[in-house]
Amino acid sequence: MFALRRWWDRYAVRAGVATLAIVLAWAMRQSQGAFIYEIYQVLTAPLQPGLSQAERLENAYILELQQRVIELENQNQSLRTNIDYADSQGKVTVAAVIGRSADNWWQQITVNKGHLDGVTVGDMATGPGGLVGRVVSASPNTSKVLLTTDPTSQMGVKVSRSRALGVVRGNVDGRVVMQFFETTPDVKPGDVIVTSSYSRLFPQGIPVGRIESMDLKKSPAPEAVIQLSSPLNILEWVTIHPFEAKTDVNAPPAEIIDSNESTP
Amino acid sequence: MTASKGKETLSDFQRNFLNIFVVLGSGLLCLLLSPMRFPGIELLNVAPNWLLIWVVIWSIHHPIIDAAIAGTVLGLLQDGLTGPFPTHALSLMLVGMLTARLQRQRIIQENVVLVAFIVFGMAVVAATIIALQMTFQHVLWPNSPYLSLWQIWRTHQRVALSSAILSSLWTPALYYPLHRWWKS
Repeated sequence: MFALRRWWDRYAVRAGVATLAIVLAWAMRQSQGAFIYEIYQVLTAPLQPGLSQAERLENAYILELQQRVIELENQNQSLRTNIDYADSQGKVTVAAVIGRSADNWWQQITVNKGHLDGVTVGDMATGPGGLVGRVVSASPNTSKVLLTTDPTSQMGVKVSRSRALGVVRGNVDGRVVMQFFETTPDVKPGDVIVTSSYSRLFPQGIPVGRIESMDLKKSPAPEAVIQLSSPLNILEWVTIHPFEAKTDVNAPPAEIIDSNESTP
Repeated sequence: MTASKGKETLSDFQRNFLNIFVVLGSGLLCLLLSPMRFPGIELLNVAPNWLLIWVVIWSIHHPIIDAAIAGTVLGLLQDGLTGPFPTHALSLMLVGMLTARLQRQRIIQENVVLVAFIVFGMAVVAATIIALQMTFQHVLWPNSPYLSLWQIWRTHQRVALSSAILSSLWTPALYYPLHRWWKS
């Protein structure tokens, strides 16, 4: 007994620690080393590869979808404004620009709606900003629009502020020039130009552009350079408005008289 | 003997058929490229003159009459794509005839750089003929759509130079396949 007491006095702490260790080890064994694995996980965390390849691919895919959604939202918004604009204008056709002039002298665009969609020769094309041009030919699914900047395109216009009348003519170099009927027109740079009621090829009141500079001493008629309000070089969509020309300007005079007589 | 003869006529037939296909296909391709403006193709709002490149390459490989006919046909087609006046048929016909004549004098010898130079010169010729037509209309007809001669010829400078540079740079793209085909 005394011997046992002496052993206990000497080895109590050791025995306690050993027991504790064994119990803990047993507990650890029962829990299948979870604690150790947890520590292992924490310690090796910096060495582990970040995201798995699958996760990375998934993230990239999500990113792509997000970007697509943004693009679709943008497209949706621009189409919606087009539709609202089209609705506000009555029966019109919205068409995408699919081509430009096939040589370097004409100022034309090709759009993706033709006479199957109700586009006819003589219709007016407008874009964001105002007048773009006139449909000069229509195939079943495309049509060709003569831009206002083409030399063969002419239209009657007026200065919106002072009602000074004139003719806007395109130019070979892509600029647009207005020739006034009066010798001393009331105009100043920045005045808004709209189509006039004397225009046979366009309905009146369509915005064309602004006066950029003037040469009032020019003979035979004073001239002004017009800055078009529609960006013709970067057009993507145009709106085509049905319009019946007042007289067929391409017909010789006899035919005009004939058609007037036949429809009294 | 008869078998090989039969085989040869068959391959001749196939060859002719393929040739028609290549000619029509490449011509149609040039027509379709004309209204197209993909990014980087424009210089000062001027695009390469694809039909002119085609006519020059055709004229190098064909006699002067064929060159004139091809030029006229493609010029009329281009008129259809744009507008009736000024006509491209005249300019492309002259381009074809001039090129065929240069080739007869053996100035061009299978050198793509020389062909590009010919295209450069012919683009200037074509633009000049168009501008001349505009000038005649402006001078001879009282109500011409053009405002002044000065503007026509200033535009001519821009169009001629830009389309000459662009067309000659794009020449190899059409020249290599067509030359290989017509050469063999």
